Amino acid sequence: MSDEIQVIKVFDLKGLACPMPVVKVSKGIKEVEVGQVIEAQTTDPGSLSDFPAWAKTSGNEIVKTEQEDKLIKFYIKRLV
Amino acid sequence: MDKKTRDDLLKLFQSKLNEAMRFYLETCTRCGVCTEACHVHASMGQVRYIAAYRSEIVRRLYKKYFKGRGKFWPSVGEAKELSEIALDELFDAAYSCTGCRRCMVYCPFGIDTQQLMSIAKLLLIGANTEPEILTLLADTSIEKGKSLELFKEGFLEGIKRLEADVLEKWQTEAGTTAIPVDVEGADLLYVALAGAHSIIPAAAVFNAAGENWALSFFEAVNFGAFVGDPTKTKLILDRIVNEAKRLKIKEVCICECGTAYRVMKQLAGKQPFKVSAITEVHARYLKEGRIKVDKSKLNGAVTYHDPCQIARNAGVIDEPRYILQHLTDNFRELTDDPRYNWCCGGGGGLVAMGEDTLDFRMKSSKVKVDQVKATGANILATACENCHTQLSNLNDHYDMGVNVQFLSSLVADALVR
Repeated sequence: MSDEIQVIKVFDLKGLACPMPVVKVSKGIKEVEVGQVIEAQTTDPGSLSDFPAWAKTSGNEIVKTEQEDKLIKFYIKRLV
Repeated sequence: MDKKTRDDLLKLFQSKLNEAMRFYLETCTRCGVCTEACHVHASMGQVRYIAAYRSEIVRRLYKKYFKGRGKFWPSVGEAKELSEIALDELFDAAYSCTGCRRCMVYCPFGIDTQQLMSIAKLLLIGANTEPEILTLLADTSIEKGKSLELFKEGFLEGIKRLEADVLEKWQTEAGTTAIPVDVEGADLLYVALAGAHSIIPAAAVFNAAGENWALSFFEAVNFGAFVGDPTKTKLILDRIVNEAKRLKIKEVCICECGTAYRVMKQLAGKQPFKVSAITEVHARYLKEGRIKVDKSKLNGAVTYHDPCQIARNAGVIDEPRYILQHLTDNFRELTDDPRYNWCCGGGGGLVAMGEDTLDFRMKSSKVKVDQVKATGANILATACENCHTQLSNLNDHYDMGVNVQFLSSLVADALVR
């Protein structure tokens, strides 16, 4: 979990088949209040372009992206 | 439903009425041959899942608004009004159909239920009652095409991290890139999915074959086709077409994704490049001696599920069998004629709708489970991401005890020098 960001919920999307990471995060973001942040953990290299495009399309905000070896963490703030 | 909404929806209906569609709408004699063709009906036994019944929901609207007898004498013309209830019925028909076209193979007139369901899907989009997630996924793909420069760096970084895994499967010469991207003049553009499993084995095989290739920036799957939106389907497709043209590619190779292959092969129109499924490319490498595989790497009995969009609907039937001949001496067919293979039950956007459709997908695919079990195989190979997910879900749900594998991964794991 990031030090500066208060994460309300963590979604483990590691190793999921296409397009489940985006499907699950689309549903998951609705489980928190507007303004709150979720953490989505994925191992899909394609998520590095999929998630920003999804955030732009869905009107949410990726406040931070972290990469540790193959693990990618997106911190996403619900805006709508 | 107000008049304007209905008129707008009927304009959408009209836009689908080409000669073939009118033939499908006017030809059904209700002979009933399609009754046992649908895996959903065969598994669940409900009349509403017979192909002719699904088509009738669209056909009655057609009769009401586009045929004289339906307009003026609806009770005799078997016509039905376009209403909110009709939209619910269209949703049920369209999103319980995987578009596998098994019914079309049985129909003596070749009526294409998938095409008729495309009318239903378009009307649902027009009424804003289509599955929201499919539209969101399609819009996300389109956004990637519009803003590639914003996403490029992150993507390249992610791809770089996969190179060690590719080299573990197949060591390339020092100084060569394990996963080349954005290579002008490459012979082959490989269009993968977002997951590493769609990239690493494929890259190892391309490198082993000495292919002059590049990985596409875009994912292969076309969610516009799943949701039945022709405009979005084309926009998503054009991202890849334009990339291939920019790089002067000779061959676009689509990963193990049935819809992606069929859309690229059949909807891209005449292009300066050829379109292949990765299965075709792997079979070609074996035929030309560009790769060699070791049969001893694969133990146990193997069966192969033909993805409907790649096999029945696009003709890639011999190539996977040619590959499997090189991988095993213990191959067992699921069915005597692969064109009549049962659908896995995951197509048409159902797998992409995730857990919302899981219960239906499990109930509606019992015949597939029985078919796989009857082979006694312990490895179930396939060449489509949707099929792989659905078959894995079935494997867990029905405790089938098989190892579900991508065909391309089996090839990569069996590579020898």
